Amino acid sequence: MIIAERKPMEEIKQAMAPYKKVLVAGCGTCVTVCWVGGEKEVEILASQLRLARSAEGNEIVTLEATVERQCEKEMVTELKDKVAEVEAVLSLACGAGVQTMAELFEDKPIFPAVNTTFIGMPEKEGLWVEMCGACGDCFLDRTGGICPIVRCAKGLLNGPCGGTRKGGKCEIDPEKDCAWVLIYRRLEKQGRLDLMREYNPPKNFRAVKRPGRIQAVKI
Amino acid sequence: METRIGIFLCNCGGGMKNIDFDAVAEKVARMPGVTCVNLVSHLCLDEGREKMIASIREENLDRVIVAACSPEFKEHIFRQALEDAGLNGHLLAMANIREQCSWAHEGDVTEKAVELIKMATNRARLLQPLERKELPVNREVLVIGGGFSAIDTALHLSRLGLRTTLLEKEAVLGTGTGEWQSLHGFDNSSMTAAVEGDRNIDVLASARMTAAEGTIGDFTVTITREGEEISRKYGAIVLATGFRTELAPTSTLKLRTQAEPISGISIVSQEQLFHMLHNSIVEAKPRTIGFMFDFSDENSRFPTLTTLNNALAAKNKWGSEIYIFCKNVKVDSEGAEKLYREARECGVVFLKCETTPRMSMDNGRVAVEARDVFLGEDTVIACDLLVAEELLLPIAGTETLSSLLNIRLDSRGFYQDENVHLYPVASEKKGVFVIGWCRGNLDMGRVLTDISSVVMSVHGLLSSGKILVEVERVKVDPQKCVACLTCIRVCPHGAIQLVRVDGDKEVAGISDLACDACGICSAICPAKAIKFQGYRDEEILAQIEAIGES
Amino acid sequence: MNGCIVAFCCEHSAYPAADLAGRLRLHYPESLRVIRVPCAGRVDVIHILKAFENGASAVLVLGCEDGACHHITGNTRAKERVKYCNMLLKEVEVDGRPVAMFNLSPNTPHKFVRAVNEITKIIKESGR
Repeated sequence: MIIAERKPMEEIKQAMAPYKKVLVAGCGTCVTVCWVGGEKEVEILASQLRLARSAEGNEIVTLEATVERQCEKEMVTELKDKVAEVEAVLSLACGAGVQTMAELFEDKPIFPAVNTTFIGMPEKEGLWVEMCGACGDCFLDRTGGICPIVRCAKGLLNGPCGGTRKGGKCEIDPEKDCAWVLIYRRLEKQGRLDLMREYNPPKNFRAVKRPGRIQAVKI
Repeated sequence: METRIGIFLCNCGGGMKNIDFDAVAEKVARMPGVTCVNLVSHLCLDEGREKMIASIREENLDRVIVAACSPEFKEHIFRQALEDAGLNGHLLAMANIREQCSWAHEGDVTEKAVELIKMATNRARLLQPLERKELPVNREVLVIGGGFSAIDTALHLSRLGLRTTLLEKEAVLGTGTGEWQSLHGFDNSSMTAAVEGDRNIDVLASARMTAAEGTIGDFTVTITREGEEISRKYGAIVLATGFRTELAPTSTLKLRTQAEPISGISIVSQEQLFHMLHNSIVEAKPRTIGFMFDFSDENSRFPTLTTLNNALAAKNKWGSEIYIFCKNVKVDSEGAEKLYREARECGVVFLKCETTPRMSMDNGRVAVEARDVFLGEDTVIACDLLVAEELLLPIAGTETLSSLLNIRLDSRGFYQDENVHLYPVASEKKGVFVIGWCRGNLDMGRVLTDISSVVMSVHGLLSSGKILVEVERVKVDPQKCVACLTCIRVCPHGAIQLVRVDGDKEVAGISDLACDACGICSAICPAKAIKFQGYRDEEILAQIEAIGES
Repeated sequence: MNGCIVAFCCEHSAYPAADLAGRLRLHYPESLRVIRVPCAGRVDVIHILKAFENGASAVLVLGCEDGACHHITGNTRAKERVKYCNMLLKEVEVDGRPVAMFNLSPNTPHKFVRAVNEITKIIKESGR
């Protein structure tokens, strides 16, 4: 899923400074699951904004709404009436959600309240780790299902780099596992260590033509 | 429909002199939706309750506020009064104007009392009825373990008419009771014989639990015995798996620890010493014996007992000189103080040391070098026999069982009791109990208490064959749930699972039976999909909004 | 609610402790408003923030002693949430609004009173 992280409050406050009435809009999918943009976070951010502004003696009115997926026009349309009421929208969705919102409500400034950071998974309650770089040319079959592009600090396609620490930790961050040690161990378990000897040619990152566009087969 | 709120003010027979009740009554009567305000002097007595019931009926009330003592004392009585008047008991809100208002402050607190009632009224407007229903429970009990506490629990439960299965990993019951025997001279053969003759007890030996699912009243357990899998259903599970000991790791110990210390000069464990004292023929009586305990584990209640018992026995049988090296002697278990006095009286020497003594081999004897804090100097004592410190550890397999049943272990690896003071034998999972040694270091008296409390708890839970639960007290809104699994990960009682609704959408579902109503899930849910009736966000925020309104 | 202290009290520990304080006539400031919760873990960030929005001068979250929470992790979660809340308030530079968590058991009314007095002192010092 898409993982995001709340922007610094200072930035949000500054962005909201000119407005007296805003809509804080959450998204009920990825960002809800990673605890940054669901109904709960919408409520907290709105409350924070109100507190901040009332301390300045410059009250702000906040409307709150969370749609199931902010990246779907049909679902965002539900917010039409609320958007009409406010001067600006503060969106807690990923970049796709913010843009959907911006496209639907062209006359209103839409501000992102979160930074969309990566595609990842929960390692445990409340901790998300990056798993996929969305490179568009997946070779997980050759690396035992572990992606070195995002999980190796250097993004090496052929590793390890030679700087692996004792215990299989990364030389750049001793807290993190060396992805290539993980790959080695996984392949060892599968009896496919010969893959370690094979050279992975440089990736063709042009596999994804920007902007990315995928047309599913019509059924 | 407009809510019809009835407020009942109780002045506790004049026990709240710093509240002007007439003024309170006048003020609260002006709140929207308030149909009637009744001032009663003893609402909790029969006359008060009758008045309350009559008023609920006459005024056709649908919300009741009781402004009186703390809900901790009489809430259940007032709930019952609501039920008797034909109203759901959960439509009651209490304002604690006695303990937390009148009695807590010195001056006139009429205003505060009014505000507390307003808070309760605001909450009451939002309260929703909560139904209760009886669910059937399985009356069979699974006791895991084959030691003293397991067997005794099974025998007690059987006498109360509950069928019990004893699940023992060894081939026969009672194999791990060595230390008990040495300590209390109890003979396990009479207990195992009692089990054999009991038709209510089923013994599954050489068997292990390999899977468990379900909740209180309805556990399905997979048991593997000699490669064969058996599936059985139980209403409750009791863990009485006991403990094991290991000699405290010290490099010198390895030198001369012997499995069969017949020669008499060595480093031994408490159990080996017991066998030397009672069963084996010792060629040369040890002249000097050293004991060590309480250095690695502060919780040394049991080592204190074994040491004192064995020291006394050795003194009586061999007349040896005895030195006990320890940090502290724990004499809070029954009889320990007396044993300690006896030991002192017959000449056993206690050396209180802050650090673990150093040991070395000296001509076949063990030289123990320690600094006694009272003497203030180093002492070297050459012992013919050293009884080494033992670590008390959870038995192998504890981790597996804990993960199968989804219950936690404490920092030492024993099963964590739910609340050491209030509910010592309950685990965090309803219907799973932990008793005796497997929940930590205990002594006989405490084990017996554990057994009786688990027997009482299980009997109370299962004897009637049904259990009364509140239906959907904590509920997931399937429309709002995004199945992020957060609640499933955080529920301390393992009460939440993914369930399929509307054909196949997967969402979190809370088991009414297993839920203990803490509200942790509803506080953490990022989609705000979990509602805890009585403590919903609206109900909590409504109280906050009432503060300082006037 | 100008200047009130809102105390979320766990019904297994702090709430009975508050009752006991009353029975023993251990006095504490009248501005305290207790909200009973089933566990400190039920107290959510938004409850605390809304209390401040309504003009509370301080918020207390009172739960069971460490390691003795009736619901195992409720009190530790509450502690984390209180920390988080302080961070959120600091972010918006709303200072002098203390949120504090205290652990107590049902038989420690003096601890309850101490918690209330401590937070009252903090409010006074911050001049609100």
